[in-house]
Amino acid sequence: MLFLLEAKKIKHTGYLAAFLLSGIISCIFPIIHMLVRAETFTSLPGNPYVILINANWKMMTMFNILIVICGACIMYHTEYANSGMLKMVTLPVNSIHLFFSKFLITALLLAGIIFSQITVLVGCALHWFPNASFDFISILKNTGFQWLIFLPTAMLMLFLSSVCKNMWISLGIGIIMVFTVSIFPQDNFVVSLFPFCSPYQTLAVVDENSHTQFFCMSCIIQTVLFYLAEVLYLKTRRSFT
Amino acid sequence: MNMIETHNLTKVYGDFTAVSNLNLHIQKGRVYGFLGPNGAGKSTTMKMLLGLTYPTSGSFTINQKKYPQDRISILKEIGSFIESPAFYGNLTGEENLDIIRKILGLPQSSINDALEMVGLIPYRKKLAKKYSLGMKQRLGLAGALIGQPPILILDEPTNGLDPVGIHEIRTLIKSLPQKYNCTVLVSSHLLPEIERMADDIGILNHGHLLFEGTLDELRMRARTAGYSANNLEDTFLAMIDADNQQKGW
Repeated sequence: MLFLLEAKKIKHTGYLAAFLLSGIISCIFPIIHMLVRAETFTSLPGNPYVILINANWKMMTMFNILIVICGACIMYHTEYANSGMLKMVTLPVNSIHLFFSKFLITALLLAGIIFSQITVLVGCALHWFPNASFDFISILKNTGFQWLIFLPTAMLMLFLSSVCKNMWISLGIGIIMVFTVSIFPQDNFVVSLFPFCSPYQTLAVVDENSHTQFFCMSCIIQTVLFYLAEVLYLKTRRSFT
Repeated sequence: MNMIETHNLTKVYGDFTAVSNLNLHIQKGRVYGFLGPNGAGKSTTMKMLLGLTYPTSGSFTINQKKYPQDRISILKEIGSFIESPAFYGNLTGEENLDIIRKILGLPQSSINDALEMVGLIPYRKKLAKKYSLGMKQRLGLAGALIGQPPILILDEPTNGLDPVGIHEIRTLIKSLPQKYNCTVLVSSHLLPEIERMADDIGILNHGHLLFEGTLDELRMRARTAGYSANNLEDTFLAMIDADNQQKGW
């Protein structure tokens, strides 16, 4: 029920429209890329899907990260702008359940976007590479992995937005994080585990280095840790207000 | 029977004591007016009763239920309006109340009942962010009144309302105990307001409770102490002034 209530709260905020627009742009990106540079990619040796995801995933992920940052800020701005959050706290509902519902909405929309992006990449491979072949299971596997490694970023961003009443602070932190990770060496395994950095990894590369299980576990643990940070924040904030 | 009771309730922020050893006794089915100058600790007390802030020490019971053990159970019985109207500006008045209704598990008809009580029926489909200040205030009140909770905690509920609105809300609050047998704790800095709607009053100054009782008891006490008892405002000002002088504030 709380999930539906949270979904209702984002009405007229532009949240869904922003996710939809970002999803469409990021899905169109590899198509345009192939239309312009098809020969560059079709001449490369190797798995067509791997070639395409290596060529496009960074830009597609950048869109995803930016929309997750904006989405989290929109969600909590809606809560803080007219003190809607204050009303919720005075009602018989656990605040952490509201937070989790917000995370669930973000995670579901993200799953939809990532599934569309992977499907478009597979579609491009089938269209431009004559010998390419893909099965649905492989699409789901790739979607699942890319979605899972995005969860710590989504959870951390929601946590930051819930802590900062001023939307511009959480938005600023998010944007700074995006550009900070681009300074670090992208091939460093430890750095690649951190939120805002992990979504850039692809299953093909992680699989190649036999880090898949470790990577997935690390992302799950980080997601749980950021969730616990929110629990702690909700428990302690009443002592200071 | 006391619906709300506080026992040495205290809230300290750093070296500032907002509420000090407060012992309130709010009887069932009565309107309790909570008076005090700005910064006296009225809102802090109400926030503690709603679990918005933890007491530094002391405790309270609401309808025999203890905080924090029975927090959710307590909140089910309280309708509240704290500081300023709290709502979602991107939703209509009706949608705002629908969220509260679903959380409280109330029937659909409770939305219309609440909107009707505060006179917002014609504007129910309008986005709340486009409401005037008075309409926002009414929406906040509707959010507190929805489902006719047995306890109402209202912090300056008539702020921002025009004289007609103030009269309507005052009449509504005064009628609630009779209509729904509910207990109302209402704070206001408008002394005549409290005089007109409260059965009992509590006067707070610098976090200390100076007086608790009925209006007649207050008048009697004022006469005994040599204060003016002609109207509540004079009595209130005299009590606050004497307390400030005595404690050197």
